[in-house]
Amino acid sequence: MITLPLPLIQALQVLTIMVGAPAISGVIAQVEGRLQGRRGPRILQPYYDLAKYFHKESLAPEGASAFFLAAPLISFACYLAVPLLIPVLTTFPLPLGNMGDILGGGIVLGLASFIVAIASAETGDAYAQLGSSRSRTFGAITEPVVLLVVFSVGLLTATDLPYALAGTVMSGPEQIVRPAHLLAAAALFMVILFETARIPVETHSGTLELGMIEHARTFEHSGPYMALLTWGSSAKQFVFYTLFINVFAAPWGLATSGRLDAVALAMVSLFVKALALGIIVAVIDNTFAKLRLFKITEFVSAAFLLAVLAIFTLYLGGG
Amino acid sequence: MFHLAAGAPNVFDGSANTIAVIVLLLEFGMLRAALLRAQIQLYAVQSLAVSVLAGVVAGGRGIPELFALAALSFLLKAVIVPMVVLRLLRDAHADIAGSGALGVASEVVLSIVVAAFGYFSFASLGITSSALPTTALSLSAAVVLVAFVLMILRRDVVSQAVGFFSLENGISMASLVVAAGMPLILEVAFLFDLLVAVIVFGVLMRVHHGQSQSLSTANLDRLRG
Repeated sequence: MITLPLPLIQALQVLTIMVGAPAISGVIAQVEGRLQGRRGPRILQPYYDLAKYFHKESLAPEGASAFFLAAPLISFACYLAVPLLIPVLTTFPLPLGNMGDILGGGIVLGLASFIVAIASAETGDAYAQLGSSRSRTFGAITEPVVLLVVFSVGLLTATDLPYALAGTVMSGPEQIVRPAHLLAAAALFMVILFETARIPVETHSGTLELGMIEHARTFEHSGPYMALLTWGSSAKQFVFYTLFINVFAAPWGLATSGRLDAVALAMVSLFVKALALGIIVAVIDNTFAKLRLFKITEFVSAAFLLAVLAIFTLYLGGG
Repeated sequence: MFHLAAGAPNVFDGSANTIAVIVLLLEFGMLRAALLRAQIQLYAVQSLAVSVLAGVVAGGRGIPELFALAALSFLLKAVIVPMVVLRLLRDAHADIAGSGALGVASEVVLSIVVAAFGYFSFASLGITSSALPTTALSLSAAVVLVAFVLMILRRDVVSQAVGFFSLENGISMASLVVAAGMPLILEVAFLFDLLVAVIVFGVLMRVHHGQSQSLSTANLDRLRG
């Protein structure tokens, strides 16, 4: 069996996220449709949407600078930089894998969303600005939770490299049942629900402006730029899923060597796990009622509680 | 204490701690729950978790009489008490009675502080036990303190009753740690204590609802001539 060179595997990590992300979104939309008693769109629909956007002309509002048009490119690049840092396909760190830790990945993800927010502030459109200001505000509320999750990962593994935590989780059952790990994973899961616009206030596919946070920011973009933003947001979702699955919840099925069959198997297992997670998310999304906007703090305080308890149990030595 | 990354607890300790953490989380859930019915259901689940913990200790440490205790406390606290309180609630025709004195997020943050106090003060006592890890004891202290916060901040009879019952859950978790081999008769006496409390709170709920047509205690702070 051929052994793939490491740089190729590294590139494959990015390509897996890039090519696979719309399919994950498509399956979730399909499941969501079934749950709501509709037939739901085709699984490949996100790809058709992207193709359609790429063939349309693009317009920029009057007075918007070149940054408005650069923002989708930069944010897309950011989302695709994160798969270099986290274990997507392999258990062992790839050449660029130790370039940044979890915080580094967090900064890159934050940068992407910050850039889009700035771009939408350039448009002068009320809804886009509303969306960007909301996403900044609520992003600041979830930030402490993310930091505490990172801290507890740091305490669990004495490092903050995602690869190290995945290795720790796989090292034995006592690492899985320890409360700190479970609590941190649950807190991260809640953050993911929030960040991928599922719970507690956003409607994922609706057209109601007041229920939008993430989607409102992209109102003024069109054509290929819109395609990059849409693609970027599904890539972000897949990145978050990968982070949760391969670092916290189920880092099994990853390739332990660069052999072609192992890497292919890792790809398949990542897809299966991400689809399972996506279906769980869709069920949660459709089971719980949306909250009022100002109840976001209640949701975030629950995630915060989980993360704080994770730290507490660690400091007591019982985590 | 600060060599944290050194080692994970073994599987038994880890799962026992996880169950204890779940008990604490359910206490927080009761604090957050707006519906009284949801609060009682959470109490039932919490009692179930405590019974499971007793069962885990019984199986893992070979103390067979704890199986009897687990079964008994499951029957009483996870089935009978919630059923009785739910029935009382159905007669009162009230779903939400008086919200908390603070907003939910502030309540949670306050309780985190209180829980942390209980947590670390019990940890510094240095009590060790052969049955369960010390973390479970600290967690049960946190459960008791959060139950106090629940009783103080929620202004309705049902929340206060549920707070009291769940406080008992915290204490029985603590007793699993420090006195897992305690004679069964003492544990049963505790459970009967709980039954008395249920009757008292039942009477309180009925009388209060009969007098003020609500379950809220907010209007009890005025003198009536």
